[in-house]
Amino acid sequence: MKILIIEDEKGLRESIEEYFSEAGNICETASNYQEAMGKVSIYSYDCILLDITLPGGSGIEILKYLKKNNNTDGVLIISAKNSLDDRLEGLDLGADDYLVKPFHLSELRARVTAIIRRKTFNGSNQLVFNEINIDLLAKTAKVNDQSVKLTRKEYALLLYFIANKGKVVSKNAIAEHLWGDGMDLANNFDFIYSHIKNLRKKLMEAGSNDYIQAAYGMGYKFTS
Amino acid sequence: MKLIARYNRVNLLTTIVVMLITGIVYYQVISLILIKQLEKNLQVEEDEIYEYVDLNHHLPQVFKSNDQQITFTEAKPGSVERHFINTVYHNFDNPKYAKRHPHRDDDEYETGRGLITSVTVGAKYYKVLIVVSTVEAEDLIQIIFGITAGVILLLFVTLYVTNRLLLNRLWQPFYDLLKELRLFDITDSKDIPLEKTRIDEFEELNQAIIGMSTRVKGDYKELKTFTENASHELLTPIAVINSKMDTLIQTDTFTHKQSKLLSDLYGAISKLTRLNQSLLLLVKIENRLLERNEHIDLKQHIEELLIQFEEIFLDKELMVSSDLVEKEVVASTYLIDILLNNLLGNAIRHNHAGGEIRVKLTSEALIVQNTGATEALQHDQIFTRFHKSTESEGSGLGLTISRQICENLNFTLNYSYQSSFHTFTVNF
Repeated sequence: MKILIIEDEKGLRESIEEYFSEAGNICETASNYQEAMGKVSIYSYDCILLDITLPGGSGIEILKYLKKNNNTDGVLIISAKNSLDDRLEGLDLGADDYLVKPFHLSELRARVTAIIRRKTFNGSNQLVFNEINIDLLAKTAKVNDQSVKLTRKEYALLLYFIANKGKVVSKNAIAEHLWGDGMDLANNFDFIYSHIKNLRKKLMEAGSNDYIQAAYGMGYKFTS
Repeated sequence: MKLIARYNRVNLLTTIVVMLITGIVYYQVISLILIKQLEKNLQVEEDEIYEYVDLNHHLPQVFKSNDQQITFTEAKPGSVERHFINTVYHNFDNPKYAKRHPHRDDDEYETGRGLITSVTVGAKYYKVLIVVSTVEAEDLIQIIFGITAGVILLLFVTLYVTNRLLLNRLWQPFYDLLKELRLFDITDSKDIPLEKTRIDEFEELNQAIIGMSTRVKGDYKELKTFTENASHELLTPIAVINSKMDTLIQTDTFTHKQSKLLSDLYGAISKLTRLNQSLLLLVKIENRLLERNEHIDLKQHIEELLIQFEEIFLDKELMVSSDLVEKEVVASTYLIDILLNNLLGNAIRHNHAGGEIRVKLTSEALIVQNTGATEALQHDQIFTRFHKSTESEGSGLGLTISRQICENLNFTLNYSYQSSFHTFTVNF
């Protein structure tokens, strides 16, 4: 997939770029309004990560430009502004999603993957990962055509892992993904462990490989 | 005590004292003048006797009169000293008098003023007693005193009533200002209006209050802006740290010790993130930036939240019971979700393993009860910022935010401790 990262904060830009850079992905970056406009007007991307506050102009203007030109690039707004109006304005203008800083890279990755999936698999709602087949519409999973009964949380967890395959995902990121950041569970990850244990057990019982690995006690990794 | 009451009390008391003293002095002076007048009459009478004796060389014939009595008694020469006396004398039947004083017994003795003097007729020495009635004078004094007392009473009443009316009216701007001050809300954009008054003092007071409220509001706004800006500025570095951490854990294998350190770092960062978000949220709620009128099915929201937390209930072995009726509120979904999340989150976090949570929704109130610490929390402190129990992992802002949300929605949030249940009640 081809991604444009428009973010003025160097540290964040580089981290995102590194996290998304892997075989088959092309990451480009822009650090200010002019640079970003230059790139979006020439190239097309699968997904544009758009910061609202940019030196030289507003990310909203870029979004407006994209929509005016019937650009079909997916747009995910990453903003420090967690105000409802900004969120609604962004989504009204045609952004696909809105993520508030600070966020976990794995969360960003999951959101971007979801956007691209929606954009590219027009009509098809099947997500296939090796022997695992997920029906995104029915929210069901199959391993080797054998149906696996997953709870809502286990299903969300599986999608999250597949989007972040090959990455170590921290327990904090998982907890925030499953329960939102409102829940303060920093010192109580036992239930994450039990969810993951159940998911792993169900997948393996259905004949899947053992993809989920614990990573040094601070997170999990979905190996491919 | 009200200023008016106090003022009236002092004012009336002094008036009473002054009037009493005036009355006494007045009475004394008038009595004195009248007595002097009587004594003058007595002297005239005495002079007449002397003249008569000089001319005729015998005592005058005594006419009995109702107002005046003269008696002559023989005495040892030189034994009588001339002086005035207060005395009583026997009055005679007098139709005029009886008419005026019908209640008085005719045989009664009346008060009078007397002059004892002496006269020498030839070789005989007489003691002379001239008595005039003071009843007339006393009547006069009584009339004068009565009129005076009436005037004083009238003055008194007039003074009281006018004082009351006038003071009430004069103080009206003050009461208006007081009302405005009571209604003063630092978060409100409404200013204290300039009351129309012709009294300089109140005008000054009003100006001073307006000035003060503007300053206070300015300072408060500045403080809020500072909080908001500070929180905002913090977001980017936190985002960088977060992303760098996420990147770091991809790099290599870690020893047990290193991964423990990384876990702790993650924990601290998410705490920082939450704290920062709570502060921002609080500012936004206070600034009423999140107001939105949506019709919210509260029952549905609570049921969804209970499903959301299901695993956590199981994990902590919490017994959850709910008793919900259909209830719709008009508010922002975002805020209601935060409120419900905070209340239920607290009920989970501060519970013990195997504890109980009760959620009750009626058309008047939402009640969230949980077991936990065995004694009541401090009512006055739990809603203040950054107040939390020592073992709490929360930000210390959850209840502050909850209360602020309730205030914005004109709900009230209260805490009570009832038979080992910590109870938070939202009254709609």
